[in-house]
Amino acid sequence: MHVLNVDGIKKHFRSDMSLAKREVLRGVTFHAREGEVLGFLGPNGAGKTTTIKVILGLIKAHAGSVTIFDRPPGDPRAMARIGYLPEMPYFYPHLSLAEFLGFCGRMSGVGRTDLSGRIDKIVEMVDLTPHRAKRLKTFSKGMLQRAGLAQAILHDPDLLILDEPFSGLDPIGRKMVRDILVDLKKRGKTIFFSSHILSDMEALCDRVCIIRDGIIAKSVVLDDLLRMGEGTIEVTARGWQTEMLQGMQEYLESVRTTGGDAFLVVREQRFVRPVIERLFGGGAEVLAVVNRHRTLENLFLREVARPEARTSKEKKEEKLVFTGF
Amino acid sequence: MNKIAEVALNTFRESIREKILVVALLFGIILMGSSVLLSPLAVGAKQKIVMDVGLAAISIIGVLMAVFLGSTLLHKEVDKKAIYLVLSRPLSRSSFLAGKLAGIVIAIALVLVVMTVVMLGTIVLGKGIVRPAVLASVYLSFLETTVVCSIVMLFSTFTTPLLTSFFALCVFAAGSLSGDLKVFASKFGGEGMKLVTESLYYLLPNLKVFNLRHEAVHNLPFATGDILRATLYAAVYCAVALFFACSIFRRREFK
Repeated sequence: MHVLNVDGIKKHFRSDMSLAKREVLRGVTFHAREGEVLGFLGPNGAGKTTTIKVILGLIKAHAGSVTIFDRPPGDPRAMARIGYLPEMPYFYPHLSLAEFLGFCGRMSGVGRTDLSGRIDKIVEMVDLTPHRAKRLKTFSKGMLQRAGLAQAILHDPDLLILDEPFSGLDPIGRKMVRDILVDLKKRGKTIFFSSHILSDMEALCDRVCIIRDGIIAKSVVLDDLLRMGEGTIEVTARGWQTEMLQGMQEYLESVRTTGGDAFLVVREQRFVRPVIERLFGGGAEVLAVVNRHRTLENLFLREVARPEARTSKEKKEEKLVFTGF
Repeated sequence: MNKIAEVALNTFRESIREKILVVALLFGIILMGSSVLLSPLAVGAKQKIVMDVGLAAISIIGVLMAVFLGSTLLHKEVDKKAIYLVLSRPLSRSSFLAGKLAGIVIAIALVLVVMTVVMLGTIVLGKGIVRPAVLASVYLSFLETTVVCSIVMLFSTFTTPLLTSFFALCVFAAGSLSGDLKVFASKFGGEGMKLVTESLYYLLPNLKVFNLRHEAVHNLPFATGDILRATLYAAVYCAVALFFACSIFRRREFK
């Protein structure tokens, strides 16, 4: 059963002073199944937060449709089953943590008799018990992020929509949030979250949708990704000469040089030995031979990274000797 | 209904924790205190001065708070994106707006009650008599504040706090003079002018119906029916303003 259906949503904005349209979403389509952890990955400005806002009914799509538990965004019966953590959350600074969670709980329909016990449990879960009575304006960014997660899970929702849940957290906070999400996953909750931290996505997600320029560029099941081949083997060499590298074209997929080092991506495992022998034979030094498994990062960079995304410093230092033989 | 009350309670908390509210309250009390100092200048009219200044302070402070709180609280919530947390819950936008308005009105009512207690205390300590007209005048000032607050909420759904304050104060000034508009229409100008001024008369709130200060200060008789009519008028005006505010707010996008 699909908990969340997003079908071909389009959205454009106009700047206040201009009539020109800026297309932000160009037909985003994806679905989240019950009990699934779905990652939403994309570079800045790709349309992640806009998609989330359309799902929640904070903005309306110009085309396409969204259903949550078979109901449209904004339907109270659907909204009661959602827990949402916004990106860079701003909470009411005049409230204490307990007052804030009490407000959020009652707004989500939690009964007054249940609420106090739930707040105690959730506050402990996000490790904010000593700060329960403190006003939110005294909280650090990481503490606010944890308070944000607390309000999102307080009413035990079936679908969690989390926009950058790891943002602003220190390593301990990140681990804590990851453990909470793992626990929610075990309890069969559906989790849809965006993040830039790929290791966390790899650790948590069943499936990842990569969004680029307002459209889903790739949707991949993580188990399938890890099963895809053995990855690539990269040899790092120093003291090389261009002619030496050109003489090994048949063995190499690509070569990249930075400073005095050359990074040779070997086409197949059986070519590693002749490559190393030729490097030694030519008087070069082999610094490393690494077997790189295909990771989410590889996939993300391949699908999304563009040359213009690199800094000018990187471009100056990096020179492609030859690629794509 | 419970959720509207929750939003109202949260807005009330936010309002009373705003420093400006304390400043307004102190300003009002100082203003009333100054009437005690001024009273020796008008021999035999001490109580009238205390009442006159006190009731005027209650009206002015109430309206200024309505403009300030109404124009900033909703805007702050949208601008800082705290509204995402509320609207992503099972709550309609109209309920949110109604709760917001109720919270601000309750906060202002609290300040008006404190100011009224101070004024009545001053009158009683000065061996004066608290007449029903004084209490009726305070009640009407509260209704006036509520009407202004609903107008501020309407403007704040689509414009900035600065423009909201400006428009609301313009409406307040015009509303205080709206009775004169009708007289102006009947005496001067052609048919076109008459149509415009008459339209404005019916569109703008007639805030004169909430002014019973003269009767209260000079111990003049007043009709209870006028108080009931003013109450009904305020309720209808607030409901209409809130209806239009909700219509705009429902269409609003939170980018």
